[in-house]
Amino acid sequence: MRLCALDELAARVGLRIGQGVAEARACLPELDVIEADPNADLRLLESLADWCGRYTPLVALHGDKALFLDVTGCCHLFGGERALFDDLAARLFHMGFEARLAISATPGLSYAMALSGRQQVLPTGEEAAMLRGLPLAALRLEIAVLDGLAQAGLKRAGDIMDLPRAPLARRFGPAVLTRLDQALGREGEPVSPRLPVAALSAERQLAEPVTGEEDILALAEHLAGNLEETLTQRGLGGLNFALTLYRVDGKVVSITVRSPAPLKTAARIAGLFRERLAAIHDDFDAGYGFETVRLAVLVTGPLAPTQPDFASAGRSDLSLDDFVGKVEARLGGGVIRVPVLNESHVPERASALAPYSRDDSPQRPGWPARLRPMRLFAHPEPVEAIAEVPEGPPITFRWRRTFHRVSRAEGPERIEAEWWIDGEAASPRDYFRIEDQGGRRFWLYREGLYGVGALPPRWFMHGVFA
Amino acid sequence: MANAALAKANLHALRQVVAAIEEGRQHTGKLEETPPAEAAAGRLALGVEAFDARLEGGLPVTGLCELRAAFTMDAGAATGFALALSSLVRERLRPERPLLWISEREAGREAGLAHAAGLVSFGLRPESLITAHPRRIEEALWVAEAALQTEAFSAIVLEVRGNPARFGLTESRRLHLKAREARLPLLLLRQAGEEEASSAQLRFLVEAAPAGLRRIGNFSAPGTIGHPAFRITVEKSRNPAPFAFVMEWNADDRQFYAARPDLQPDAVHASGTAHPHRSPAAPADGPDRADQMGRVLAFSRAS
Repeated sequence: MRLCALDELAARVGLRIGQGVAEARACLPELDVIEADPNADLRLLESLADWCGRYTPLVALHGDKALFLDVTGCCHLFGGERALFDDLAARLFHMGFEARLAISATPGLSYAMALSGRQQVLPTGEEAAMLRGLPLAALRLEIAVLDGLAQAGLKRAGDIMDLPRAPLARRFGPAVLTRLDQALGREGEPVSPRLPVAALSAERQLAEPVTGEEDILALAEHLAGNLEETLTQRGLGGLNFALTLYRVDGKVVSITVRSPAPLKTAARIAGLFRERLAAIHDDFDAGYGFETVRLAVLVTGPLAPTQPDFASAGRSDLSLDDFVGKVEARLGGGVIRVPVLNESHVPERASALAPYSRDDSPQRPGWPARLRPMRLFAHPEPVEAIAEVPEGPPITFRWRRTFHRVSRAEGPERIEAEWWIDGEAASPRDYFRIEDQGGRRFWLYREGLYGVGALPPRWFMHGVFA
Repeated sequence: MANAALAKANLHALRQVVAAIEEGRQHTGKLEETPPAEAAAGRLALGVEAFDARLEGGLPVTGLCELRAAFTMDAGAATGFALALSSLVRERLRPERPLLWISEREAGREAGLAHAAGLVSFGLRPESLITAHPRRIEEALWVAEAALQTEAFSAIVLEVRGNPARFGLTESRRLHLKAREARLPLLLLRQAGEEEASSAQLRFLVEAAPAGLRRIGNFSAPGTIGHPAFRITVEKSRNPAPFAFVMEWNADDRQFYAARPDLQPDAVHASGTAHPHRSPAAPADGPDRADQMGRVLAFSRAS
């Protein structure tokens, strides 16, 4: 076992990363050793990235130790780059993190500056001068490349900036030039954000943290009211909403709701959050309160303006959307479903229960006029059946340990498998509509043909008729 | 207990009247279409005279009614009967609103899921049906209550499996009152359930009955399976006399008809046997073959 990270005190005593634990214990008998847990580290970094969402929506993880924040256009909200830098540094310090920060024009240069201890806000135009003094090791190069450069006596970025490019690339690989160009902004380096960027968002910072659910809902409604005007101007409504709550102690709680139809009325948006909060009531821990609340519209859809009239006042079919939104906010998505017909002749594929969505397109007309069971089993259930003649309907069968004697049967209706899905070896099915002596009507099928294949055909129960 | 519940219901009704007067709802009512005569009477005639007469005019269109299937294998018939009833309500009273079918997840796993093509061949329109699949019975009750608060649905079917302890007299009373208040029919479809005291105004036992023959012109084709038939036993109603009846559902006319007289349950007595479907009980603990003639018993010797 070796040391992979040290705290401040251990570093001051003289322990090194990579040192064996036994050796370190010999140097310092009172040493506390905690086993490394890379997954927990990553979770911590991710939750920190969520927390950084208060500064900018564009937060990206880099490796397992660094975060990139794209603060372009966000600084004025905090009073300038310097103020943002100080605020972030102070908050991280008070949360107990030892963080190194730098703000510059490119992610590569910021990373290099932070890594080499130049924690500052770099004014535009001084990138080259700054980079010149930084060690090459801060440029995110591989160890082998760095070793090669070091053997050639090249240790600082300034050493290679003025060298001819072609021989440099030939000798040390193209990565050196790429990283150099990225740091200087000659080559773009996109920062891919961890979370999708919201179409619209409104945020409220609170002087006094809130804890009560009612207060949070009132805030959500207030924020939704702020967004309503923008949504109206754009002719849009929100389909997915996220309420992000930043807790005083740095934890971030995100509550998302989905509406089946585009929505912009503040009260109805808040109504969805009310149901969601009621559903997660037990898991919802307000702790010492939330200091920042943000409402984001993640997905939007077109919302045509409607004119209210007297006759339909209060009884439009909007209440159906409200109902679906309310139920799905409380019980989770996919609870409300509608039966739809698909283009397939295999019964289990021909009909499905699709999630409800408000779709004004008219249903396809031609519903097939075949005789089909009212309820279909998701998985056909094997039955033991005895048929009078091999290809004929069964005369008795046993389903779920109950013996049924067939009084009447209609069929067979042969349904071939879909070779483009099931493969060419799939057997055809012969369906029989059967009434037993009690008058119950079932849909049984025989899979396979007699005399074809090694195994005899098998019988299945696929559905019940009314 | 019944008196207390009745008093509570009266009190509730009075409170509502007071609230309505206080809000001044009667004076500033919105423009409402006049309800059809059937809705005013509170009964939906099924068009089968004997049945309607027994139910004092037909199915009540507000409040809770229970349809019970004794076994899971009768779930198809019970589902068909429930959906046929609710689609009749929808068609005649509130044609523009969909039906809601709330089905506890376990019920769907056990008895199968709704099949769109099957609904079509039963004479229903799948696009007018919305299904809800809550995981637990409490959630199903919550969904039913939420649905009764909106004006979005024409009728609600609540399907439960067995007799869950979480759905007792109190809960059914609550749902019944909510449904009365919302003036909506709520059909409780209980599959594989026992008889249980509940607040439903009516309880039917639904069983499958042998279907009639398929008719081609004036000719009944032998050996075919015609319109689905249901044997309905009224287990609970205001009229205490036992009553059973066989009805057929015609998917093309979208209408119930009485089954042929010789298929009716009371035709049984005319045909001479009291229990036509019961076979004699198998002998228990007896020898499996007849005694041989001349078998010698252990008589004491005479001489």
